[in-house]
Amino acid sequence: MNTKNIDDIIALSEELRWEIGDDFHDNLSESIYADASRIVEDAVTKDNKKSKFRLDARIDKIVTSRIWGFPIMLFILGAVLWLTIIGANYPSSMLASLLLDNIHPILKDFGTNLGFPWWLNGFLFDGVYLAVAWVIAVMLPPMAIFFPLFTLFEDFGYLPRVAFNMDNLFKRSGAHGKQALTMSMGFGCNAAGVVATRIIDSPRERLIAIITNNFSLCNGRWPTQILLATIFIGAVVPESYSSLASLSAVIGIAILGIFFMFFFSWALSKTVLKGEVSTFNLELPPYRPPVFWKTIYTSLIDRTLIVLWRAIVFAAPAGAVIWLISNVFIGDQSVASWLIDSFDDFGFLLGLNGVILLAYIVAIPANEIVIPTILMLTVMVTGISGGVGDGVMFELDSVTATADILRAGGWTLLTAINVMLFSLLHNPCSTTIYTIYKETNSLKWTVVATLLPVFAGFIITFLVAQLWRIFI
Amino acid sequence: MNYNPITALLIFFGISLLLFFVFRPKKGIYSLLKNMYHQEDKMIIEDILKFLYHNQTSNKHITTNHLTSTLEFSNDIIVESLKTMLANELISLEKDSYKLTTAGSEYALQIIRAHRLWEKYLSEKTGFHKEEWHERAEKKEHELSQSEIDKLSNLLGHPKFDPHGDPIPTKKGKMVSSKGIPLSSLKEGDIGKIIHIEDKPDIIYKQILAENIYLYSTVRVIENNPKRIVFHSEGEQFILAPIVAGNITISLLEKDEIQEENIARLSSLKFEETAMIVGLSKECRGESRRRLLDLGFVKGAIVAIDLLNPLGDPKAYLIKGTSIALRKDQASKILINRN
Repeated sequence: MNTKNIDDIIALSEELRWEIGDDFHDNLSESIYADASRIVEDAVTKDNKKSKFRLDARIDKIVTSRIWGFPIMLFILGAVLWLTIIGANYPSSMLASLLLDNIHPILKDFGTNLGFPWWLNGFLFDGVYLAVAWVIAVMLPPMAIFFPLFTLFEDFGYLPRVAFNMDNLFKRSGAHGKQALTMSMGFGCNAAGVVATRIIDSPRERLIAIITNNFSLCNGRWPTQILLATIFIGAVVPESYSSLASLSAVIGIAILGIFFMFFFSWALSKTVLKGEVSTFNLELPPYRPPVFWKTIYTSLIDRTLIVLWRAIVFAAPAGAVIWLISNVFIGDQSVASWLIDSFDDFGFLLGLNGVILLAYIVAIPANEIVIPTILMLTVMVTGISGGVGDGVMFELDSVTATADILRAGGWTLLTAINVMLFSLLHNPCSTTIYTIYKETNSLKWTVVATLLPVFAGFIITFLVAQLWRIFI
Repeated sequence: MNYNPITALLIFFGISLLLFFVFRPKKGIYSLLKNMYHQEDKMIIEDILKFLYHNQTSNKHITTNHLTSTLEFSNDIIVESLKTMLANELISLEKDSYKLTTAGSEYALQIIRAHRLWEKYLSEKTGFHKEEWHERAEKKEHELSQSEIDKLSNLLGHPKFDPHGDPIPTKKGKMVSSKGIPLSSLKEGDIGKIIHIEDKPDIIYKQILAENIYLYSTVRVIENNPKRIVFHSEGEQFILAPIVAGNITISLLEKDEIQEENIARLSSLKFEETAMIVGLSKECRGESRRRLLDLGFVKGAIVAIDLLNPLGDPKAYLIKGTSIALRKDQASKILINRN
């Protein structure tokens, strides 16, 4: 056969392909699928009566009903959060007294006895050790409660129903119903929330869920909110209402976070993410009794310990930095107070101050150490009595004593409100940033996810500060 | 500097406004600058070639006036480009109207190939909305090199038609002419298949999109008068103005080609009804299509509604013993047959 012949054949085949139209590939693959299912039907015998277990259908009817669907969801989320926050208090304070009040002095004495110079002693035990101990004490108990509870519901099969119920709300902002789950997971820990976005298999919706996960107020930030709301918000109303007022302020911030999550989901899906592939599918698997111990074990290992380990890895250098900036001097000023001075003007513009901004920079590794760092830096800058020394983070058992220090640092109601807002709207902690990078494998989306909330925070606190000063 | 909250706010809004004017899409200074940079000779020449090619079939006489009034470039640049094209023998001048030379029409076909392949790519591999495909392809067609176009065609499995139903020219510049007629010229009772939905002009295309009329669906005309055209397709009724219907091309079906009439969209299935799946609409593309096939939405499968949603959408469908939630726009692209 000569080459001309071949060319003719190819040309003919190209023309014929137009004749059969575009759908022949599709028809072919579709019929393969159809054939496969027919073969399955012939070869596999099924017990038809048990195809859908009655109890399943009944549970589904209730949890997706118009009347009960949403109240059940809110109740479960509220109960899990309440159990986490309240339940974590006791083990947290036990760990704190063990690691901070008992072991820390022992370690320092140990260093002194070994003849460590003061700076090495301070750097190792006041800096590195203290930050790590703090993160463990504050972070471990809530996570060890939250994640197993969450995983139990996941195992039971309830969570896909939540995604099913919520999908319409998320669809409007271009997101996937399963984002309801990753968002709730974010209330426990944003890093874990980001990992949980793996359940969303559509690329665009997954990126949206990753980037906006930080708007879920995480465990590391709840204590800050509660403390500030108690001190400042509770104080403006009559005493009998104070706990109600501070509680609603904290819940208000969390709801504001959800609002921002929807808003930025919408904005992202309409702009930078609109070219990413978007699909939707959601399987509602049958319910099954959770394997209790196995669930507890895997959630502790997979979620809690991995996240904790990453947090420790990042907290150690942060502790070192905090100690160093307070103890290294340029001229007669420590690096910290020099930094605070230079941030003060910008901080004032946002209704914050230099101490707060510096605390948020050095506490990027863990939101848990923001308040201790703020207290330490405030004491250092104002020179009031309190605290244990430069670069040594501390927290006070008494709320009033904490309030006194903050007020001495120039805090007003505006400062408190803006810190609460900024605590909601700032960059994710370094553990989360690192997790985002690992999950997206893209520097671009990591940068977007990191900077978007900070800029939102700058703008919101700025606007609040100006309006406050104009009108109040 | 003295601080005053009102000044601070004013400065902030000033900066925001400035950023808005610089970066707003399409009319912003940034994108205008970017477009200016891109308004190269190549782009103008290619646009003129395309324009001539599309009008060649209708045997219109294209004069310089036609070109300057339709193309969005300044008159001087167009006249200048026409001179270059005449010199390069891409076009020839007969009296006052321009004609494509063989070289010119080959070139034009390659641009059309790039355009339609890119539209196909956008529809299959990205999440951009239908509305944006045309405009994006208008830009991209000037940027793709010959080898990039070939790679693209290879990646897409050498498609023959773009997502609007237009044929894609081959590498050698061959293309079939479509044999359809406009929907507006169909008589009452005629049955046909939508083979092309025109994506220009924008206003009419958006109307067609808003109606959720799908490519390759079968239509049956119920009523056709100068005021409106009423037709049934996939179990739904559509009413269009003749000018809109003119942008939908139909290939008439012979009586023996006609498939069963009671095809409907899955989205119209009611609670406690069962139906058999006939297939997926051609509008269900790319990743979504494969997902649905994977999940078992294939010809012959039996489907029923499993769960309704407290907010109305999505609904869960029971298929092959599994409960799968689908949104309404997905369900409308699955075709069923109620027995």
